[in-house]
Amino acid sequence: MDFSWPEHHLAYRKEVEAFARQTLDPAVADRDERGIFSREAWEKCAEFGIQGLSIPKAYGGTFEDRDLLRATLAMEGFGYACTDNGLALGLNAHMWTVQLPIFEFGSEEQRKKYLPGMAAGRLIGAHALTEPDAGSDVFSMNTRAEKTEGGYLLEGEKHLITFGPIADVVMVLARTNPALGKWGISAFIVERGTEGLIQHPVQSKMGMRTVPIGKLSFQQCFIPEENRLGAEGAGFSIISHSLEYDRCFILASQLGSMERQLENTVDFVTRRRQFDQPIGKFQSVANRVADMKLRLETSRMLLYKAAWLKSQGKSAMMEAALLKLQLSESFLASSLDAIRNGGGIAYLTETGIERDLRDAIGGVLYAGTSDIQRNIIAKLLGI
Amino acid sequence: MDKQLITYIKDELHAGDAGLEITPQDDLLGSGLVESMGMMKIIGFIENQYGITVPPRDMTIENFLTVEAMVNYISSRQ
Repeated sequence: MDFSWPEHHLAYRKEVEAFARQTLDPAVADRDERGIFSREAWEKCAEFGIQGLSIPKAYGGTFEDRDLLRATLAMEGFGYACTDNGLALGLNAHMWTVQLPIFEFGSEEQRKKYLPGMAAGRLIGAHALTEPDAGSDVFSMNTRAEKTEGGYLLEGEKHLITFGPIADVVMVLARTNPALGKWGISAFIVERGTEGLIQHPVQSKMGMRTVPIGKLSFQQCFIPEENRLGAEGAGFSIISHSLEYDRCFILASQLGSMERQLENTVDFVTRRRQFDQPIGKFQSVANRVADMKLRLETSRMLLYKAAWLKSQGKSAMMEAALLKLQLSESFLASSLDAIRNGGGIAYLTETGIERDLRDAIGGVLYAGTSDIQRNIIAKLLGI
Repeated sequence: MDKQLITYIKDELHAGDAGLEITPQDDLLGSGLVESMGMMKIIGFIENQYGITVPPRDMTIENFLTVEAMVNYISSRQ
């Protein structure tokens, strides 16, 4: 067993950190308050090569080969150095739930048509799965794709879609054969401007306010046959595949955020003095810091194991569920501890500490709630 | 191979239900004998047991509808 990272991976993480720290717009507090997504930051990320980490160079990727371990470490470094958690969430959603399925399931034409533009930052992707009546029970979706001459007619509504209001490329899941239940679901690529696709306005939310989410409607929306992703009925596989990657990688950046949060907390509790001593000398404060460290390291081990399994092409359903549950709940608990340790100062918006807490809450809801992760774990244990 | 798969499905997905009868031709998906989580477990078992990798694009109803279909798929990958 070897827990060390190759030097070139560590060096690349450092490059990502330097890029994020030096280049990305620091006005995140203002964007958070106004709920603004920075397209400029998105394009800078693409120019650096962030979006291209999930696909090989042949399709616009950053490196010759797709290296999931390097990508994991890079996105962890991104979260460590970039305080815009919404931007990190958007990047990961775009990379792992849209670009990657197009690479894995798409035809050569689809790969060449969409991936270079997505990696270059010209196109933003949205993964349209969740519906008003199909959240945790995702396979009960109502959106239909009726076969018609030359393609399909899409009819239905998706909601809580990351980048839904502004996406250029939407990967939508719909029923093509209701009689087959979850085995009768297919995936389609819908381009912005397609007649019958309605991209609703951005919806305001509690956290992750710098990445837009919203509803999508499909009204007699014609999708040509060549825009079906994978075989008819491949939706189950695409959803399972996407969710596993989603759970593995979407939180890598939040691990970096947790590391930053811990460092800032240690710095604060050693400097801040009350009753003639640093507040970190009080056991109640020190215990919270120790718990933050424990959460960080247990989350890290689970992330690296899941990433290693995926890099080996292996199934990681249990590991992905454990990771998603542990990391998202840890970020939430540690964000609250960071505020408790920071006291009234941390409650102020200008410090950014309270923003982490608001951003962390979404993590226990999206890509499968914590309750669902526990169900998956229990079921895989045979309960 | 089909007996191994049937035994796995009975033992792991149906708690060793002695009264459960599964034939290689039974529709596992339409009948509800195997649901989505069970399918992922079967794929993990196949990968470990038969030393193959099941790429995501091969996880289709054609390859996993019946035990017979799984056997054919595994044979084609070995």
